[in-house]
Amino acid sequence: MTQPRKTQLPPQDTHPTSSSTGSPVTTVTVLATRPLMRWRGVDLITTAMLGVAFGVVFWGFDVFIYPVLSTATAGFPPVAELMLGVWLLPAVVGGLVVRRPGAALFTELVAANVSMVLGNEWGAAVLLSGLLQGLGVELVLALFRHRRFGLAVAVLGGVLSAVFEIVFYEWHSFVAEYSVAWKAIFLGCGMVSGAVIAGLGGWLLVRALARTGSLNAFPAGQEVRESNPV
Amino acid sequence: MSRTPSETRLAATRPDRTPPVVKGALVEVADLTWRPFGRRAPVLAGISLRVEAGSRVLLAGPSGSGKSTLLRALAGVLTTTETGELTGSVMIDGSPATGSSVGLLMQDPADALVAGRVGRDVAFGPENFGLPRGQIWSRVRAALAAVGFPYDEDHATSALSGGETQRLALAGVLALTPSLVLLDEPTSMLDPASAAIVREAIISAVRASGATLLMVEHRLSDWVDAVDRLVVLDASGLVSADGPVATTLVRYGETLAAQGVWVPGADDPTPLQVSRELCAPTLPRSERGPGGWPGHARQAEDSIQPAPGDRCSPGEPPGPGDRRGPSGSVLVSAESVSLIRQHRVSVMSANRPAVAVEVLHDVGAEVRAGECVAVVGPSGAGKSSLTMLLAGVDAPTRGKVIGRNAVRDGAGSSPPEALHRWTSQALAAGFGWVPQQAEQAVVARTVRDDVLSTSRRLGLDDDAAQARADGLLAVLGLSGLAGADPHHLSGGEQRRLALAGAITHGPSVLVLDEPSVGQDRLTWSAVAGVVVAARDAGVAVVLATHDPLLIALADRQVRLRAGRVVAAAPEPSAPSAPEGSSTTDSSVGLGTTAEQGGVVRQEESRVPTVVPGPGFTGLAGRCGPLSLLLASIVLVLGAPFITTVRTALIAVGIEIALAPLVLGLGRPTWRRLLPCLFAVASVSFSNWLLSPAREVSSGALAGLRVAFFVLPGVLLALRIDPSALGDQLGQLLRLPARPVVAAVAALYRFEGLGEHWDQLARIRRVRGLAGAGRSPLDRGRSAVALTFGLLIETLRQAGWMAVAMEARGFSAVVSPTGCAPRRTWAEPATWRTADSLMVALGLFVAGLPVLLSR
Repeated sequence: MTQPRKTQLPPQDTHPTSSSTGSPVTTVTVLATRPLMRWRGVDLITTAMLGVAFGVVFWGFDVFIYPVLSTATAGFPPVAELMLGVWLLPAVVGGLVVRRPGAALFTELVAANVSMVLGNEWGAAVLLSGLLQGLGVELVLALFRHRRFGLAVAVLGGVLSAVFEIVFYEWHSFVAEYSVAWKAIFLGCGMVSGAVIAGLGGWLLVRALARTGSLNAFPAGQEVRESNPV
Repeated sequence: MSRTPSETRLAATRPDRTPPVVKGALVEVADLTWRPFGRRAPVLAGISLRVEAGSRVLLAGPSGSGKSTLLRALAGVLTTTETGELTGSVMIDGSPATGSSVGLLMQDPADALVAGRVGRDVAFGPENFGLPRGQIWSRVRAALAAVGFPYDEDHATSALSGGETQRLALAGVLALTPSLVLLDEPTSMLDPASAAIVREAIISAVRASGATLLMVEHRLSDWVDAVDRLVVLDASGLVSADGPVATTLVRYGETLAAQGVWVPGADDPTPLQVSRELCAPTLPRSERGPGGWPGHARQAEDSIQPAPGDRCSPGEPPGPGDRRGPSGSVLVSAESVSLIRQHRVSVMSANRPAVAVEVLHDVGAEVRAGECVAVVGPSGAGKSSLTMLLAGVDAPTRGKVIGRNAVRDGAGSSPPEALHRWTSQALAAGFGWVPQQAEQAVVARTVRDDVLSTSRRLGLDDDAAQARADGLLAVLGLSGLAGADPHHLSGGEQRRLALAGAITHGPSVLVLDEPSVGQDRLTWSAVAGVVVAARDAGVAVVLATHDPLLIALADRQVRLRAGRVVAAAPEPSAPSAPEGSSTTDSSVGLGTTAEQGGVVRQEESRVPTVVPGPGFTGLAGRCGPLSLLLASIVLVLGAPFITTVRTALIAVGIEIALAPLVLGLGRPTWRRLLPCLFAVASVSFSNWLLSPAREVSSGALAGLRVAFFVLPGVLLALRIDPSALGDQLGQLLRLPARPVVAAVAALYRFEGLGEHWDQLARIRRVRGLAGAGRSPLDRGRSAVALTFGLLIETLRQAGWMAVAMEARGFSAVVSPTGCAPRRTWAEPATWRTADSLMVALGLFVAGLPVLLSR
């Protein structure tokens, strides 16, 4: 290379939002480098590692919290379903960090794979769950053409992910004999969990990670960095 | 960890196969400037350098001078994890660097691991460049022979010590026969014995291959004989000296030593003079005055009866010659402790039985106030484990660790006898612990808050605490960063931050695990100064260390060897000392051969992919993972067609009848089935409860339906080996290769991340941050904090993995249109008849509900 060269500046998208005082404020969203499907090595590896990390989190979650919850809610899945969001986190976090088509799905599948091979109680069925959950988030991100990654998108992704999981899988396998009313309540609990834990929680998590500088290779980190040069 | 006595024979047994000789590369760097986005000042500011073909160059300079950045720029991986402005040019043999002509070896050997077996790991580079299978394996063998690797190709990578892993990484680099080899502090994370072996391997292998060598190191004395030239960078990233090693050292030796580089021939650094008040222990509560600090407790002075040689009464500045005698009161005693580590189930060991390793056997130790004890021994001897027991963050399997006297008094009302049962607050009041990988120990948003977090949690006087924190930050060179986010600090700065955080609240016992690894001369002085000041102020200091300079500061040594205390004897010389790593202490899975007087553990040198059970292994034992997966998934799809209890009973009955045929006649794994049975029962119950008519049959139907796909699914999933699955997905199903390879490589990090989770939990406990209660809210808060810490570490590891993998050509063959690269696979994936049978059987069983409902 003999010419001075800048690395490709990540594409940016500015769109107006209004702040609490009513005056228009432009926020900058950094997008993944184009072409969208040209995944960089670090994208692939980070997505896979995030999936494995969430596999560890699920493990820790099972050890720490689930026993407490299960005994409290044994045999009453609608309340236990309020924890569904934890299993939807990888998809939301993966999608918000890497910002490419397939990121949410890949992260979720790797996390599910880790669960399965560790011997969780559902066996290979978790892969199917993972597929549905990842697709939910992918669909929402695709609806916004991979240009919007704010809180609303994250919450919507969490909700749709929960809907896919419940409507296409859990309604027919785990709660098939419920009355229609209870099935609806079950779905409602799942959607709330998806919105709060996966959507809001995932978005906050990604923001906090970006502030620590861990996401410097990704658009989320770049959004934070240029405004606070060291 | 496997150790063999063959290390000494390394030089003697020269392999027949010599690796191919390459022509070394001519390296020309012209005016290279790099400014990452988000930084005001460039890291590299117009550096120019020329390295002749075949020469060996050592780069030295103070921390922060951009040496590692320069190496990454030469390897072409600078923009892998960062974006910024890059100007200037780098020419390797007159053209820009391509992946296969440059090899990069990184500091942490664990970053470069991508596979479960040695041979497969080395084959990663050739695979990326699409070499045919035969060539791949001949290169693998030549590379392993060049570094003198002691094991064969089937050895598990998780069973290697740090030095062996680093040699494996070197073999991986050499497998691509690069003409330029870059080494980024290759031995800084290893203990002296393994560092010597790795150094020898590097020197002989690179010399034999004829490549140009460019390396960065902080400790120059070991390498001056192996290199021709020394290039010195100054703090701003420009070349300040360049010439033959001997003459450059003579001229610039003093400047370098003053900047912190470990220059051969310079005097050993001395510990900094640090005020003892900064490190003095907080008095036990009963003796504490209103302020809680020594200076405020004047009225309590008379009530303290100092034992001869005990710490001097508070408020009195110690005289210059006032060294504590070692006969202070005992603060922690470990009595006949043994520690057996059971490996947590890992993704890669799903088929292997969990191996228990005895890390410590019948060890006794005492720690007294005002005394510095060094825990020494070869790597893997159990030093880290013993220090964790003494700090109360781990529980012994046998024996007990007890806190006594001042530590016990300070722990509030009647703490339990065993130290590991103390509440987090009680433990934090008396103890400070800095683990080996202290970068994990960040607990707050700013540096100052981090240092003060334990003091605040314990409710100590804030003004005094802040004064103390500021003093410690100044001593450790972190004052300028007091308001910064701890995550933005460099590794060395984070380690010093952890030390400050462990001592600000005035513990009576300070336990440090390898505090001087990776420190330059200046920071070494600061750390040693804090240790000495703490000891002189009456703190009981425990150091687990390899560093001879630190050992010289200690009053007493506890010498460990293979988990047992041995009598003090002169350190065995390097060649016969067993090799190990200073990064991880606990053995990972497999055992060692017997040493003289050492513990005999089972030895395993081969790890088969699937462990055949005793007797008939069943159809599943002969299948590859893909067919098992497909069969399980097909069962899930068949489940919704079960509509009557009769169908369900028949279907599940047939499954149970087929089980011996499919799964073999071994002992069934009841432990795995229990959670499933619980889940089935819970589903039955809830469906009965919430069904429209509340009929028992609804509940039974739901339960049986779930059992239909869960029971076989779980048992089959246990036999899936992820790396073989990856091979089959990539070759049989033709899924894009890079994602599959990335996923499999990431799966090998599972165990390490799990240990990281445990370590984070321990750190929170010893800093007083773990909640006392077991309420869901406390647990929830812990879970969030631990998840956050784990994700940060994950992202950090992922970044380094990406750099290592890209340096070995991971994205090498990406075509301009971005399609999947033409990557080859080192191991074949075959589809056997058993696989077809398995899938057919799965389809049959899954179709049963449909057939039966007619």
